[in-house]
Amino acid sequence: MAVMLEVADVGKDFLIPIIDRVSFTAEAGEFVCLLGPNGCGKTTLLRIIGGLEAPTRGRVLLGGEPVAGDDRHRRTVGVVFQEDRLLPWLTVRQNVELVLKPRGLAATERRDTAARYLWMVGLAGFEDYYPGRVSGGMRQRAAIARALAVEPDVLLMDEPFGALDAQNRRIMQKEVRRIWRETGRTIVFVTHAIEEAVEIGTTLIMLSARPARIRALIRNDGRVARVTLIDDLNTMIMEEVERQQTRTPA
Amino acid sequence: MLAVWSLLSWRYGAYVLPSPRSVIVGLVEIVRSGEIWKHTAASLSRIVVGFGAAVVVSVLMALGAFVSRAIRTVVQDALAVLNSTSVFVWIVISLIWFGLSNWAPIFTTFMITLPVVASNLVEGVASVDRRLLEMGDVYRLSAAEKFTAIVIPSTVPYLIAGMKVGFGLALKVSVVAEIFGVTTGIGYVMNYSREILATQMVFVWALVMILIMMATDKLVFDAAARRLTRWR
Repeated sequence: MAVMLEVADVGKDFLIPIIDRVSFTAEAGEFVCLLGPNGCGKTTLLRIIGGLEAPTRGRVLLGGEPVAGDDRHRRTVGVVFQEDRLLPWLTVRQNVELVLKPRGLAATERRDTAARYLWMVGLAGFEDYYPGRVSGGMRQRAAIARALAVEPDVLLMDEPFGALDAQNRRIMQKEVRRIWRETGRTIVFVTHAIEEAVEIGTTLIMLSARPARIRALIRNDGRVARVTLIDDLNTMIMEEVERQQTRTPA
Repeated sequence: MLAVWSLLSWRYGAYVLPSPRSVIVGLVEIVRSGEIWKHTAASLSRIVVGFGAAVVVSVLMALGAFVSRAIRTVVQDALAVLNSTSVFVWIVISLIWFGLSNWAPIFTTFMITLPVVASNLVEGVASVDRRLLEMGDVYRLSAAEKFTAIVIPSTVPYLIAGMKVGFGLALKVSVVAEIFGVTTGIGYVMNYSREILATQMVFVWALVMILIMMATDKLVFDAAARRLTRWR
């Protein structure tokens, strides 16, 4: 399969080194989960991949083309942030249609595309609600529909379910897995919840304590039993959390 | 309240405190003679020009503050100075600059309402959620698209709040400026009534002002706010 995403020797300093050096590749259609202790630079790495921040060292290639630190690159990225970042004064449908405008689609095409993806994320019937009138889980569904609607080369998700309760979180994990199968998108998903990553990811990348390096890259292809995998990853993350604490007093 | 008013009026005499009845009679009289429309229209047209100009300049200032941090600092300093300048300063200066003309109350209204509307608007622009703008960047919205979809809707509540306070202030200030140099307007006619010892007419015109204020608040600003923030 073709390599969709290449992260090559990426590092980032912000007063102190945040990311030391990270390299990995993801094939088209892969579901990569970035794991690591809180504050280890997962979000920063995701933002660099999305072109929201420029790396201090190294570069990111998306479909073979470099991702710039501003939005000059040509590749399309969809991002689901920790918060929904919907515009509260637009309906769910209008929120999705808005991001289709720069793509030069006609009004009817925008409407059809928005309807299709809102249906896919299970929001059929809620198109004309304002975000403030629906639940947090539904707002994140709308944010996912918006990210999918631009048909991104890579879909970045930054702990998108962190604000949801345990039950909704489980439901949304299943939904993301289903949506990933249906669309075949390349996804990079940041989380610090190990069960979540093992549940949905095809490739699990464990980052070290800050400054981040790759501690382990695991193909989640079922060859290692799920329980063993969760145990191993838990051990790793605890070691990294401890290392991080000895370096930076809380 | 009316009973106490009547009692006090009876005790101190109609010159100091006219009775409620005489005020109602006076109101009916000016409505019948059409004098109410003449002076109200004169005052309101000055307010519309002065206050309208203040809103336009406020929007320009807020735009400047949005595009450049340096402009924002300058605007904020200028507004701080304007905010701490007394109404009377502007009345005196406008009399010197514009003499006894329409432009004196208009200019005074402009200078007094500008800092109120502009401060609100600049604050609104500064409080636009950066995370929403970043979302706009992710999806490659153009500057114009970000402006109309994100910046304007975030700022509208601040604009309406500023205009509501600013309009009330405009009405209060312009009538003071009308005491000098003009021969129409609510301020002029109130001062004239005082000179001819018709205290009840002073009260009538005060009542007219209160009614205008309440009507615009309810019918214009509250209605606009409701309409523009239906999504809440």
